[in-house]
Amino acid sequence: MARDPKYDVLFEPIQIGPKTLKNRFYQVPHCIGAGSEKPGMQAYHRAMKAEGGWGACCTEYCSIHPESDDTSRVSARIWDDGDIRNLAAMTERLHHYGALAGIELWYGGPHAPCMESRATPRGPSQIPSDFEINIHPRYADKDDILELQQMYVDAAIRARDAGFDIVYVYGAHAYLPFQFLSPYYNKRTDEYGGSFENRARFWRETLIKVREAVGDDCAIASRFAVDHLFGPISIEVGEDGARFVEYCDDLVDLWDFTVGDIAEWGQNAGPSRFFEENHEKPYTGQLKAGNHTNKPVVGVGRVTNPDTMVAIITSGQFDIIGAARPSISDPFLPRKIEEGRPEDIRECIGCNQCISRWEIGGPPMVCTQNATAGEEYRRGWHPEKFSRAANADKGVLVVGAGPAGMECAMILGKREMSAVHLVEADKEIGGCVNWISQLGHSDGKENLFRGTARGLGEWARIRNYRQIQLDKLRNVEVHLGSRLSADDIFEYGAEIVVIATGCRFATDGLNPATHEPIPGADTTLDWQLTPDQVVSGEKPIGDRVLVLENEGYFMGASIAQKLAGQGKQVHLVTQAGDIVGYMEYTLEAPMLHRDLHRLGVDIHTHTMLEKVEPGACHAYNIWDTGHKDVFEVDSVVLCTQRISDDQLYRDLKADKARLEQEGIDAVYVIGDASAPRMIVDSVFDGHRLAREIDSPNPAMPLPFIRERRLWGESTNDDFEGQLRSAPDVLPLSQLGPAEVPA
Amino acid sequence: MKVVVAVKAVAALDDEAELVDGDTAVDPDGLEWDLNEWDAFSLEEALMLRDAAGDGEVVALTVGDEEAQDSLLACLAKGADRAVRIWDDALEGADPLAVARVLAAAIEPEAPDLVLCGVQSSDAVNGATGVAVAAHLGLPHVAVVKRLELEAGVATVERELEGGLVEVLRIRLPALMTIQTGINEPRYATLRAIKQARDKPLSELGLDDVGLDAARVGAAAGARLRRLRHPEKGEGAEMLDGSPEDVAARIADIVKERMSA
Repeated sequence: MARDPKYDVLFEPIQIGPKTLKNRFYQVPHCIGAGSEKPGMQAYHRAMKAEGGWGACCTEYCSIHPESDDTSRVSARIWDDGDIRNLAAMTERLHHYGALAGIELWYGGPHAPCMESRATPRGPSQIPSDFEINIHPRYADKDDILELQQMYVDAAIRARDAGFDIVYVYGAHAYLPFQFLSPYYNKRTDEYGGSFENRARFWRETLIKVREAVGDDCAIASRFAVDHLFGPISIEVGEDGARFVEYCDDLVDLWDFTVGDIAEWGQNAGPSRFFEENHEKPYTGQLKAGNHTNKPVVGVGRVTNPDTMVAIITSGQFDIIGAARPSISDPFLPRKIEEGRPEDIRECIGCNQCISRWEIGGPPMVCTQNATAGEEYRRGWHPEKFSRAANADKGVLVVGAGPAGMECAMILGKREMSAVHLVEADKEIGGCVNWISQLGHSDGKENLFRGTARGLGEWARIRNYRQIQLDKLRNVEVHLGSRLSADDIFEYGAEIVVIATGCRFATDGLNPATHEPIPGADTTLDWQLTPDQVVSGEKPIGDRVLVLENEGYFMGASIAQKLAGQGKQVHLVTQAGDIVGYMEYTLEAPMLHRDLHRLGVDIHTHTMLEKVEPGACHAYNIWDTGHKDVFEVDSVVLCTQRISDDQLYRDLKADKARLEQEGIDAVYVIGDASAPRMIVDSVFDGHRLAREIDSPNPAMPLPFIRERRLWGESTNDDFEGQLRSAPDVLPLSQLGPAEVPA
Repeated sequence: MKVVVAVKAVAALDDEAELVDGDTAVDPDGLEWDLNEWDAFSLEEALMLRDAAGDGEVVALTVGDEEAQDSLLACLAKGADRAVRIWDDALEGADPLAVARVLAAAIEPEAPDLVLCGVQSSDAVNGATGVAVAAHLGLPHVAVVKRLELEAGVATVERELEGGLVEVLRIRLPALMTIQTGINEPRYATLRAIKQARDKPLSELGLDDVGLDAARVGAAAGARLRRLRHPEKGEGAEMLDGSPEDVAARIADIVKERMSA
């Protein structure tokens, strides 16, 4: 099918300085964990989007000098010729697909702790980072400013030589140029501080110099947080925000607008729990609409709906649809619109698992919706292309249609297995997604800073996308309302059986803190509940509730939020130092903290329960166990740990003779049924098994390509002349006998 | 207990369907064929009656070309004991009365206790074939059955009337009933049952085999298909495009406009 003409505007080319963007789909800079040191991952991941129709793809933030070193978080780097070589792999691959390549030149100031380079970052004023722990910048005097600007220029020249088409001077997320612009960071009294023109001087001069150096060959872009969201003490869109855009409009070929800073950058990369599609419009939408710029504007807002994209362009909000997360979730989003099949778009759910891995520092990016994200090079996975399985003649039974089972059955179907039966005990597919997606609401009041407690409804897209795909696959049958016994499975006639039966919450308080049940804990009682029982509404809940949270992710806090929203008095107890540990990484924590505080949830960290009695929970401080407390409550919710529902798997495996007799070649267990985990990892597990169903031992993942230097095989030739001529530590071959340790 | 279930393979049609043969047929290229939704319920009802009786036979019967083969295999996989497919190129485009004539000729020698049909087929939506078969066979019939109980050769059946009113009837077998969706929960076939279905008896008959010829079938037909066409695009439909907010705002405006008019 051809594309619907109403989407034509999305496919009109647009000029960006000396370059032509072929359509309006633009992958803005975003992290993936590749940087310059995993060039294969970098090149293949970005180019997958180019293959899928994105007109331009950018690097993540790319450090211009060892003074801007974000270790252990992974940035790209363009410090030397080696980085040029590695990043050129990305630009070459993008150009192959007709996409432009962008690079976001970054200097972090105090927000870059320089833990690898051991360098000292410079900044406009000596105020420690509000993002890092105890990192002070060195005050940049005028010589320093010239050096810093030269770093941008040198990096820009290297970027051009690496084949980049769009060169950014990155000033969003409160990095160096913004630190000069904002009085929140800039306390100077010289010509680089004070008045608007003085604060804008560093950024403007840098743009002029970069433009002079590479402006004939490359489009010059700047990413600018048009509002710091700090009110009058910093940049506001209606004041210096608009003023700055006008002031530098002549120096850029493209504006990339965002909001906020790095310390709470969930205001920009808004999780769906609190922010809806196109949520930055009230800020970033003002500049073009208010005629503050004559240049092309790109902006984001986790937009996955093609109709919203059209509205953004036709309403004059932006010229170009920027996307980070939607492009990760579906690298083929533009192609699917072009081919008239928007129902196939794998929409981002806004869980921010992708971001969490960057925040953790080190691991490669992951995506709940797209299990192939980050696996393009190292595992060779393509999100839309599937080889026919070598054992496609086999029939497969997948038991359980939760995240792992749905994904596994879908991919097995796409791999042309002769017959795949996905059998689910419930009346609908989705598994835990069906009740988890009902969480995240409180009382519906809209007083949460910029967002609202919208809840996790968009997580249901995990189910919806797969439902649509499963319906289209003629070789996959989905059977609902059918709970299979081990006997049923033995007699089913499948050669391959996949158990994906999920998990349940511990009913006795078994937990990761004490590794024991909690005396008195028993969720079979009327007044004690597991989280799923709270959502199902099967038990009455008293006015005073204690929620014990030991998982460290969203569950306990979400239950507390829900119950407090109903007007109950809630104690939220955890052994950890924070009630939403992992949600700091997904950027959901700040907004959730606001809601829990507003609702009056009583939070007790570093606290564990000694025993549970009718009417009272006995608690202790984990660092000082003699320090005890008693909480008088009517109901208790135990969110301690989960336990695999793997009985079917165990029963099947226990009878090997019968497996053979019934012609069952293999039984696999995936997802929570294998070990409880986050949904992103369940989807991956199901996908991985299906991708490798014809490998020598599908139960064991195949090795992946590790982008590491092989000792003695590769050289540091690129650095010749830059390394110390006489290092004190020598290679083994040059060491004398006495120096070789025994 | 012998039950004959008359089934039909139906094509899933969408608004992209191409018309061929002077606009008297839908282009069969790329059509996907499935067992008619109503027939899944009538088959299930037959299987349950046979299983409850403890012995007997369920025979799935269809009038259709080779595209119908998979639907019969699906019936066998779910538990029908044997299947019969009747076809002759003269039946191409046959109307419900002609099809009923053929079905009746095939059912008569089976001498079943009960004949079950779906209320209608999802593609042609005539709702006529079942009762026409009853007329040809001279069997008592009940249409649009939503509940069926059998005791000592007498069936108690329920039909749903306007307003949810329930009509209860008793009918002596042999008889014919057309079955409404929702009367039961149709079972599905396991992979083993699907494989084993290929070994069950599936006979393919021509018109001769049921003692008919093209002329007699043609004479039974009540109407001739003249033309198919896509509906004309109506006037006055306004497509609302844009973001959910914009669309919602526009809808609210329209409602306000009409309410105040």
